[in-house]
Amino acid sequence: MKKFTTALFLAMCLFQWFVPAKMIYDSEMVVRDGTPYKFKTQPVDPSDPFRGKYVTLNFEANAVTLADSADWVPGEEVYVVFTTDSAGFATAESLHREKPSSGPYLKTTVNYISSNEPFMVFFELPFDRFYLEESKASQAEQVYWTSQRDSTQVTYGLVSIGTGTAILKDLMINDTSIVEIINRLNAEDE
Amino acid sequence: MNKNFLRDLPELVRAQVISDDTAQKITAYYNNKPSTSNSRLFIVFGILGALLVGMGIVLIIAHNWDTLPRTAKLVIGFVPLFIGQAVCGYLILKGSDSKSWREGCATFLFFAVAISISIVSQVYNIEGNFGQFLLLWMALAIPIVYVLRSSMASLLFICGITWHACEVAYFNSQGYAVWYWVLLIAILPFYYHEFFRRHNKNNFFYFHSWFLTTSVTVCLGVFIDNHGELLMIAYLSLFSAFVILSELNAFATTRVLSNAYLVVGSLGIMVLLLTLSFDWYWNELSGTSFEGIASGAEFPVAASLSCVAGVLLFILLRTTHFTDVNSKSFAFILFIVLFFIGLNSPTAAQLLVNVIILVFAVNTIRRGARQNHLGILNYGLLIITALILCRFFDTDFSFVIRGLLFIAVGVGFFGANFYMIQQRKKTE
Repeated sequence: MKKFTTALFLAMCLFQWFVPAKMIYDSEMVVRDGTPYKFKTQPVDPSDPFRGKYVTLNFEANAVTLADSADWVPGEEVYVVFTTDSAGFATAESLHREKPSSGPYLKTTVNYISSNEPFMVFFELPFDRFYLEESKASQAEQVYWTSQRDSTQVTYGLVSIGTGTAILKDLMINDTSIVEIINRLNAEDE
Repeated sequence: MNKNFLRDLPELVRAQVISDDTAQKITAYYNNKPSTSNSRLFIVFGILGALLVGMGIVLIIAHNWDTLPRTAKLVIGFVPLFIGQAVCGYLILKGSDSKSWREGCATFLFFAVAISISIVSQVYNIEGNFGQFLLLWMALAIPIVYVLRSSMASLLFICGITWHACEVAYFNSQGYAVWYWVLLIAILPFYYHEFFRRHNKNNFFYFHSWFLTTSVTVCLGVFIDNHGELLMIAYLSLFSAFVILSELNAFATTRVLSNAYLVVGSLGIMVLLLTLSFDWYWNELSGTSFEGIASGAEFPVAASLSCVAGVLLFILLRTTHFTDVNSKSFAFILFIVLFFIGLNSPTAAQLLVNVIILVFAVNTIRRGARQNHLGILNYGLLIITALILCRFFDTDFSFVIRGLLFIAVGVGFFGANFYMIQQRKKTE
């Protein structure tokens, strides 16, 4: 009985280390080998009881315009290939039901489809949380809204996309990390 | 309690109830007996300590120390998991039977798992709403319950999956929280093995019963789709099943109020029936076709729960006589009949609900009187009062009649209690 419990315990420990380790490995692979994209966004500031404060990001590049609705249905699994526009920001280029032969692409689900032509297929962007130190989350939102008064300022998420998964690396205002901007502002106040 | 008892021993010796020799033997027995209250206190404080420390670390990690490099954050985040597993491993290898250590360490490890996945999500901004986070946490934590045979981890697990179901189905409307049901089934073998197979009805058994009944009651509502009317059958079958279970020997408890199945089941049935005594439900139901309703997601849920309640009732009736069974055990059958009556004649169904409530109330009063239990008797009277209160709002009875009804029930309360107390005095 003791041998069985010990074996079960060891299996449990392996399981409890394997899952977060796999999460780390997958994320590291995307950070290292993924293709970086800039996603234009708007941040707002909510909180999670376990993972702390974060800003939720509403990205603009969350839909593809199609001439034919191709019978896409909400909840359907989809592979999205992105490209960059003339200003260097990410836009969705195409949707696929089958996994593209090479990356980068994002595996996600269809959100909804507009009913009028041209058909807009909206999909989930599964990197909508940017975790920040608890005092900085609301500051980040304030910094964003202040920057919005100046039309030359642009806010975007720096996202690394691999084969299927994506990792949000940083939240930027005019090519400067929002964390750096807040740190600078706090230093000036002191 | 032992000390109080020992204090009475000289008096018992003087009154020649027991001999001096017996008194000495009793004293020696209780002095040598290990104190159970002390070990119970150790368990409580062990769990409380682990719970507070675990939650404290969760909050510290949630602060998000952005000045630390990524690797340092990850290493720090995994330290609690390492410590928790190391201590639990030591307990298992040592073959420790100490319940306080086992429960305390399991509680800490339970939170350490949450800390490890929180830190990874935080560092890599991994998407995932709170429901998904809870699901992953519970999936990683369920082995703790079985490996360490920890009742506290099991209770935390039930809370976690309930929270997950609420997040998924109620707060975000993302389906029927299928994983909740899978994980709920996964915890039942522990519940059975720890408490029923070992005939171990300790405080943890009562807590488990309360948590399980409440959890299922809360989460059954996730199946609401387009035909909520059928969910009423599902809920009444569930509550009837709870009442039937409370009548079975395996679930019986010494006190009425500590029996979660009886309390949740009985109160659930009465609250639902009182709600159904208004006309809104029957007005919505009338004119709808059964075929249309049966196509909804609620139908298989209602049908399977009714079958479960039916089977349980059959098992109960094999050992207990029909007249000795709690009348609320039949609530689901009565309601199914009313449901079909209500499809065509809602007024008749509504009227019959009032009659059923009255019958249940009278039966409860009878049961209370037979068992000489003031609590049950007053519960029956309270049901009648609630019924009258409900009718107070939606009937055209004159104020005089309503007033007289209240006086009659008030007198009934006084009379019944007075009669019972007098009977008790006589028997004493």
